[in-house]
Amino acid sequence: MLVPIPWLKDYIEIKLPIKDLMWRLTEIGLTSEKLEKINGEEVLDIEVTANRPDWMSILGVAYEIAAIQGNKVKEPQIKELVKPPKTLEIKLNNNFQAIERWSAIIISGIEIKPSPEWLQKRILSVGLRPINNVVDITNFVMFEMGMPMHAFDYDEIKGHEMTVMLSQGGEEFTSVDELSYKLPKDAIIIKDKERIIDLAGIKGGLNSGIKANTKNILLHSTINNPALIRKTSIALGLRSEASAIYERGPDKGGTVKAIKRAANLILETAGGEVTSNLIDLKQKEFKPYSLDLNLKRLNEVVGIEIKKDKVVKIFSSLNLNPKAKGEKITCIIPTKRADLKIEEDLIEEVARIYGYNNFPLTLPEGKVKEEKIAYFKDDKIEKRLREIMIASGYSETMNYSLISEKIIKDSLSDPEKHIKIKNPVSLDYQYLRSSLIPSLILAAKLNTDKAVKLFEIDKVFPEEKYKVSAIGKGIEFREFKGAIDLILERLGIENYEIIFEVEEPIFHPAKSGTIKVKESNIGYFGEINPQVRENFAVKEILWAFELDLDALKDGSKIKTFVPVSSYPPQIEDLTFVFPPKTRIGEIIITIKKLDETIKNVELKDIYENAFTFKIVYQSNQKTLTDKEITKVREKIVKNIENRYGGKIK
Amino acid sequence: MNEDIINLKNEAFAQINTAKSIDELEEIRIAYLGRNGKLTNLIKKIKDLPLEKRSQTGLLINETKKNIENLLNDKKQNLIKSLTEKREWFDLTLPGTKPEMGHKHPLKEVLEEVKDIFKYLGYQVAEGPEIESDYYNFEALNIPKDHPARDTQMTFYLENGKILRTQTSAMQVRVMEKTKPPFRVLVPGRNFRFEQVDASHGFEFWQVEGFAVDKNIRFTDLLGTISFVLKSLFGKETKLRFATTNFPFVEPGVDTYLQCTICHGKGCAFCKNTGWSEIMPAGMVHPDVLKRGKIDPKKWQGFAFAIGLSRIVNLRYGINDLRILTTPDLRILSQF
Repeated sequence: MLVPIPWLKDYIEIKLPIKDLMWRLTEIGLTSEKLEKINGEEVLDIEVTANRPDWMSILGVAYEIAAIQGNKVKEPQIKELVKPPKTLEIKLNNNFQAIERWSAIIISGIEIKPSPEWLQKRILSVGLRPINNVVDITNFVMFEMGMPMHAFDYDEIKGHEMTVMLSQGGEEFTSVDELSYKLPKDAIIIKDKERIIDLAGIKGGLNSGIKANTKNILLHSTINNPALIRKTSIALGLRSEASAIYERGPDKGGTVKAIKRAANLILETAGGEVTSNLIDLKQKEFKPYSLDLNLKRLNEVVGIEIKKDKVVKIFSSLNLNPKAKGEKITCIIPTKRADLKIEEDLIEEVARIYGYNNFPLTLPEGKVKEEKIAYFKDDKIEKRLREIMIASGYSETMNYSLISEKIIKDSLSDPEKHIKIKNPVSLDYQYLRSSLIPSLILAAKLNTDKAVKLFEIDKVFPEEKYKVSAIGKGIEFREFKGAIDLILERLGIENYEIIFEVEEPIFHPAKSGTIKVKESNIGYFGEINPQVRENFAVKEILWAFELDLDALKDGSKIKTFVPVSSYPPQIEDLTFVFPPKTRIGEIIITIKKLDETIKNVELKDIYENAFTFKIVYQSNQKTLTDKEITKVREKIVKNIENRYGGKIK
Repeated sequence: MNEDIINLKNEAFAQINTAKSIDELEEIRIAYLGRNGKLTNLIKKIKDLPLEKRSQTGLLINETKKNIENLLNDKKQNLIKSLTEKREWFDLTLPGTKPEMGHKHPLKEVLEEVKDIFKYLGYQVAEGPEIESDYYNFEALNIPKDHPARDTQMTFYLENGKILRTQTSAMQVRVMEKTKPPFRVLVPGRNFRFEQVDASHGFEFWQVEGFAVDKNIRFTDLLGTISFVLKSLFGKETKLRFATTNFPFVEPGVDTYLQCTICHGKGCAFCKNTGWSEIMPAGMVHPDVLKRGKIDPKKWQGFAFAIGLSRIVNLRYGINDLRILTTPDLRILSQF
């Protein structure tokens, strides 16, 4: 909403320096961050919230400034209209679902000409183009009072009958600015005997518009159904100053006053005389109503005691005619302040004029809840995983949840199994991802470093389950696998099993596996399918895993402390030769379980089919003798030979 | 025997005096005074001496032992002193060998910090669905269909009639329905809005929603909480100001402005030359919202707020393009 300062000064004396005024207006709800020059005049560009149609007017802004400064608004003088000596005929058929109030008047014998200079200046200062005296006045009054209005050429209203109805959809309509529209369903239209002459609340029709030779006009101001206006203006992509006011809902009590104001100005600048009674169609009266504020409640909500006198003064400054009786303050709410509906609304009025920045700062005093709230999220596992991944040299990425059909297909997955957005911003972001890995492949591709290690922790769809996924480029399998081993070890996940199969085609069928604990799948890991790499145009071998956070949490346990032995360990290397397809990971687990003096087993070296293990022997009771160690070693050799066909070297 | 003792002493003294290092001194100590040391071995031989000589020789050995020990200590002190006094040139600028750690995403870093601050204030973290119903996202929050507030929250629709949530506030009524007050809740999460991507807009963005309901929660508690949180994040000197605003689900409504941390209020491209950055919309929970959450607004009051997480990250690190945060480029990620 543009508010030219010189225009504003017609109604209010501005006492504060402009910068201070702008901040005070912002503080009380009229966000004023921009001051521009339009046509040589200083113009404030304010943001008007959806609840305040009255701020869509220069007078409305003047009233707020008066409340801030404590001075008075100079209302424009409106002369009562004289009773018409003769009247022109008009018949109005309303649909009150579409138009709640319809006020109109006919003025005859006017002369259409360019507006006087003062009026042109005002119109230019709000960024509009002066058209002629009558049209300019309707715009002027809309900006001044926040009441949209329209002037019809009376003689173009066929049959002198106007009927309000909702469009069927598909009707042709040409607006005053000579643009053609195909109307959507449920637009509010006004028809004369023959044709659509107005797209109510949005644009007037070309056929009934003011022309250079127009002599008689019908001027109307209406209260239109805000939802219907909004729907139509969105459907047509047509947002105007008027539609912005209608969506917020203008002053239902203000149509007659606005008609009188405009009629005054028209008689002044275009001549003519009033030739109808003031028509005012409505099903009920729109009158000020009373709303109470309890002082005790005010103080409870805001947290400080604001004295009765102060509250009364604030309400008076807002023209709410307060009457105090004991703890109760009764306000009379004018129709233009329809946003004031409940006590809390009055509390906000007091607080904002009191000044939000004048309140002290406190913290809640109540007790902290002991029980868990609904939807409680335990984020320990996520934090732990993040630490482990970062310590393992992986950097964290955040990628979009929305991906393209192409990415899904390139990952050898099925778009049908993904949730699709009906109205995507672009085809690149049309589906919700079901795995984090495709985004990580793109991320790996983006980075040209020799070794790339990236991870992400996020939800996948449709289940909205959290996953931790990682990708490695330019690294060996064992380096990649290290992060998985570390996760399982640090989370205390034992007794897991690696199944040499993966359901996800994004993985290489021969070089990928599933990690299982009991019957539950913790996740998948392995090499990315070469076909997928080809699709994504990645040359290097990629390793990836995707683990489920809930499954990791379920499988993890708090570790039990093992006392530290005070006797020295004995360390030796044992090399075995194994037949092909031996699972070395299982050998290590087997060796560890053979004897309680075997404290640790690590794979130290691989040479062809010979594997060297570093074995740590240690007892908690004594220093082991060579003889005792020999016995354990023999046990290892025998077991490995019998169970796996491995031969000691 | 006495002569042996004196020779041994001289020998030891000579060695000690020419010793060049503390390790060497330790070797000498072991050679003479250790379990199998030369002097120790002599002590063992005392019992072979005639009775009348034992005490005198014993005294001599003890004295010799003491002398050697003293000299060893003196020499050691001298060596330490000379080591430190020499002020040998030592290059402290040589680079260390860093372990190859990864990097935490800046947004997650800030999010963890935000969660810690709120946990300190007694908040519990909740997690809600990103695929949401129109009811929880809009209607329950006093935003019926065709409400102008929907303009600023253009929505993605799914084929099953659901939507992608446009605000974490969608969790307000969800939590209220199932949790008995009093409570303090923090909901971090992703939201989606139909917006073309540019430097300051994206179709996915992160918010942290917070709300608290109690018998006597006050407006000043809301202002105090906002101030506490932002000062914890940006430092004690942070300048804030509050302004009135309107969100259909709060009354009174508050907007929080943070003095631009990039230009310190002078005005820059980052704060669109206003010197201030809109950062934390808030307000007292509207009684209609409490009612929909099955909470009696006559008995309970609440406040709610939302933090634009990406905005906080950007202000903290001086990032001027939202897209930076979703670009998985190590040249960016490794800066944090």
